[in-house]
Amino acid sequence: MNTYDHIIIGAGHNGLVAAAYLAKKGKKVLVLERRDIVGGQVVTESFGDGFSVDSLHAGGTLRPGIIKDLKLASFGLGPFGSARGKLDSVRKPFISLVGRTGSPTYKDHLVLDPDPVKAAESIKPFSEKDAASWLPFLDFMKKASQFIESANSTIMPRLPKDFNLSEGLGLAELGLDLRLMGGKDMMRIIRGIPMTAEEFVDEWFESDIVKAAVASLGIHGFTLGVMGAGTGYTLMHNWTNRGGLSHVSVPGGIGKIAEALADAVKSFGGEIRTNAEVKQVTVKDMRATGVLLSNGEEIAANNVISGADPKHTLLQLVGAMELPPEFVWNVQSIKMRGSVAKVHLLTDGNHGIPAGTVALAPSIKYLEKAYDAAKYHQISEEPYLEVTASGNVVSIHFQYAAYQLKSGEWKTESKKVEKIAIETLAEYFPNLKSSIKSRKTLTPKDLEETYGLTEGDLNHGQIMLDQFMFMRPIPGWSNHKTPIDNLYLCGSGVHGGGGVSGASGRNVVKVLK
Amino acid sequence: MTTNNYDAIIIGGGHNGLVAAAYLARAGKKVVVLERRELVGGATVTEEIIPGFKFTEFSYVVSLLRPEIIRDLKLPQHGLKILPLPSTFTPMDNGDYIAGWDDHDTTRREIYRHSPKDAEAYDEYARRMARLAKAIKPILSMLPPDPTSLHPKDLMGLLKLGQFASTLTDKELYGLSKIMTQSAADMLEEWFETDALLGTKSASGIIGTFLGPRSPSTAYVLLHHYMGEIDGAFRAWGFAKGGTGGIAESIASSARAFGAEIRLNATAKQVIVKGGRAVGVALENGDEIYAKAVLSSADPFVTFLKLVESKYLPDDLVHSIKKFRTRGSSGKVNIALSELPKFTALPDSNVLHRGAVSISPSIDYIERAYDDAKYGRFAKEPYVDMIFPSMIDPDMAPPGKHVMSCFVQYAPYDIEGGWDDAKREAFGEAVISTIERYAPNIRGAIIGKQVLTPEDTERITGITGGNIFHGELLLHQLFFMRPATKWSGFRTPIDGYYLAGSGAHPGGGIMGAPGKFAAELALKDGI
Repeated sequence: MNTYDHIIIGAGHNGLVAAAYLAKKGKKVLVLERRDIVGGQVVTESFGDGFSVDSLHAGGTLRPGIIKDLKLASFGLGPFGSARGKLDSVRKPFISLVGRTGSPTYKDHLVLDPDPVKAAESIKPFSEKDAASWLPFLDFMKKASQFIESANSTIMPRLPKDFNLSEGLGLAELGLDLRLMGGKDMMRIIRGIPMTAEEFVDEWFESDIVKAAVASLGIHGFTLGVMGAGTGYTLMHNWTNRGGLSHVSVPGGIGKIAEALADAVKSFGGEIRTNAEVKQVTVKDMRATGVLLSNGEEIAANNVISGADPKHTLLQLVGAMELPPEFVWNVQSIKMRGSVAKVHLLTDGNHGIPAGTVALAPSIKYLEKAYDAAKYHQISEEPYLEVTASGNVVSIHFQYAAYQLKSGEWKTESKKVEKIAIETLAEYFPNLKSSIKSRKTLTPKDLEETYGLTEGDLNHGQIMLDQFMFMRPIPGWSNHKTPIDNLYLCGSGVHGGGGVSGASGRNVVKVLK
Repeated sequence: MTTNNYDAIIIGGGHNGLVAAAYLARAGKKVVVLERRELVGGATVTEEIIPGFKFTEFSYVVSLLRPEIIRDLKLPQHGLKILPLPSTFTPMDNGDYIAGWDDHDTTRREIYRHSPKDAEAYDEYARRMARLAKAIKPILSMLPPDPTSLHPKDLMGLLKLGQFASTLTDKELYGLSKIMTQSAADMLEEWFETDALLGTKSASGIIGTFLGPRSPSTAYVLLHHYMGEIDGAFRAWGFAKGGTGGIAESIASSARAFGAEIRLNATAKQVIVKGGRAVGVALENGDEIYAKAVLSSADPFVTFLKLVESKYLPDDLVHSIKKFRTRGSSGKVNIALSELPKFTALPDSNVLHRGAVSISPSIDYIERAYDDAKYGRFAKEPYVDMIFPSMIDPDMAPPGKHVMSCFVQYAPYDIEGGWDDAKREAFGEAVISTIERYAPNIRGAIIGKQVLTPEDTERITGITGGNIFHGELLLHQLFFMRPATKWSGFRTPIDGYYLAGSGAHPGGGIMGAPGKFAAELALKDGI
């Protein structure tokens, strides 16, 4: 029987990155993907004629080091095969919608252009002081992003015992990076981590609209409110992943990233099988021997790496019987609780929504109120929205829509989310409704069933203060390892993950024995 | 009138200021305390607002008062007597109740009545919490090192901290990391399922904060309140004879016995600075008093931005203090009663009246109360923690009558439109009608009441924002970041000027630790 060096469960972008690195090293690698397409969350799908859309993520950029190492430019990744800095030339503005007057013009909204001078001009009418603070703020966020990038490429060791020198070295380097920033910025970052997004922006700005626009980045994709501690960190986290405030969309669709990665894997000699759902990780004496597919096929491997979320991997694929009880209790306690829904619209092109990343975040209180619904397992009647329009397709990111609803089921409530999203947006863009030809709504339940995300959590586990760094996915297990000797975790649910960066996939390769 | 030759002036006769004065006097220094009001105590006061009825006005229970302070200042000899509260009783909406006792087994049996699963979890929960509280306690007595400084003293401090961390087991380290960052709700929901148990426990995670039980980092506040002890009995909360004012009086008595002077009705207006040094204090009435050092036990906003001119402080610090969160979120309703409230859920007995009664039927109940505050309203259905001081100390009320002390959340300092008499009345009414749902006879039993909003707290005690901790216990406002980075060591940029109140490490609660630390530092600096 064929024994692979590595089986990778899931062809999400992290799994593909890991596979590519391993294949490049000459290892015999097999990637098993449940769906008929690769990419995981990094997919461009068609929901009908002319209805091609980036289903889950509006933009993403792999770490430049990964793009270089895997020569992804030569696999059709175009300008994204180059340094992240160049992306600013194709970046569009972040637009925060202001006011629901009759027919608000483009000029009335807060337009945070990638060009800081233009952005400051747009801020001026709201606050002269904030306009003057914009550039220093960008400078600081650049430093903060550098630190977060470093932190995400640093493997978090199992503190404090089992602390080996090489792992400690990584941490020491990280500490030095921070120290070299100088006392002021260092403390700004340290303090910024446990702050709320509201407090974070309050340190820099005074006008509610500017504060809310930036703070919205702190709650995008998370079941947290802008008044929740730790959204200061998630603000810096999202900013780092986007490379700024707005998304950079990939020409041809974000799926191009996954395609390029898959091509790289194959060209380095790796295998990818789609329509191959893994049902179980076969374990004997605390060692993984391979996997069992849903169709009954057994495949042997020396190592198994899972790109699925930790809960699914450990509780479904491995099973509680094979794991220590305390470990199982901790995994069960991982908070997933997704609250994101996506509403995609195919229009006739006359929707009126400008190009760029358009956010409905008119005030701090508005954003916080939207979050309250998630706390009580409901759907926000006045949601936080982030909208990207590309040609005839309008994609609405909707928060909050709690995975676990107090009343009703997602089968029927899906329509409610769709309606609220469209009605809310239509208040700013009166031509929207009449331009709609077709719709596709993804509820947290759909995210779970179609894309394999437990409780619809895009991040494979909420990124909160008690679920990050050396506590991600659970304390003591932040270095990709599991109690099963040769079973490793990669993906967003481990430290280094969250966002389309590929860091987790690259890190796991370093940890493999 | 100018008075000279004091070694130290202490601004504010709250419990920390009094502790600082006592320690300095005990070391042989000539000290004077300047207290704005006509009595000492600050927020640790007992006043006879309604004739015959003594109200422990703001704070009402104690647990965190440092044992070494009680010993060093010989407080029991000066009248300090703390009696433990034996229980907390939470009425439930279905007519039942759940109680917690100071005895583990009794509590376990009570929980078992509601949920055998929770009873079993309770054993392990109590064990872990005690372990974590013991693990983090040394931090309370540690001087926070400044991580941005390369000064040997701070590097030593960081090393000590590292050494301390290495004494913890994996489990303790991870447990601490989790509890410092989780929401009280998430932490508790990993253990229990009974709504009223969850609600009551989560309440200690939000006391004095502008956060809800589902807000991340509130599990830390829960642990903070867990760290208390009385006579070595961990996490026991107690009532002081004479109310918390009795605590202040005993510290004042001790300070006087050591030779300290306490001036009442003496309002400090400004610290006199000469050549970058604090050399005295100018009072509102024009008097000037001189000393080698000035310690302010007022909150950071008053200490840094009111008592001194900004020109003496670096811009960074001024900015930090302006941003220091000190939003008051609690109110107090003190009531003189003709009889005890009869809780319908309670079996016919007075035993549970000797402890606390908590209106906290579920986590979401408290969370909704918090939502109100977020949007500028007082809670329509507030969380209430009440005790009956007269049941423990009969001198608090005339014979046969009672006093009731209700701590209420939430009542935001920044209420929409500002606080006024009508809103205060409405807030008081919301509290009474909430209690009435569980004890229908209360309304008829009220002889008189005092309703205190955060604005009243600010007006009476001088605490900015009316926040009971002089600054919220937020993660980025703790330890080496309290009240500002680089200035968490009680010293200020002005030589001889110290911060000695709850706005400094280790934070709020009736601890006395900040006062002691500041005094010791002043002595070390050679005053």
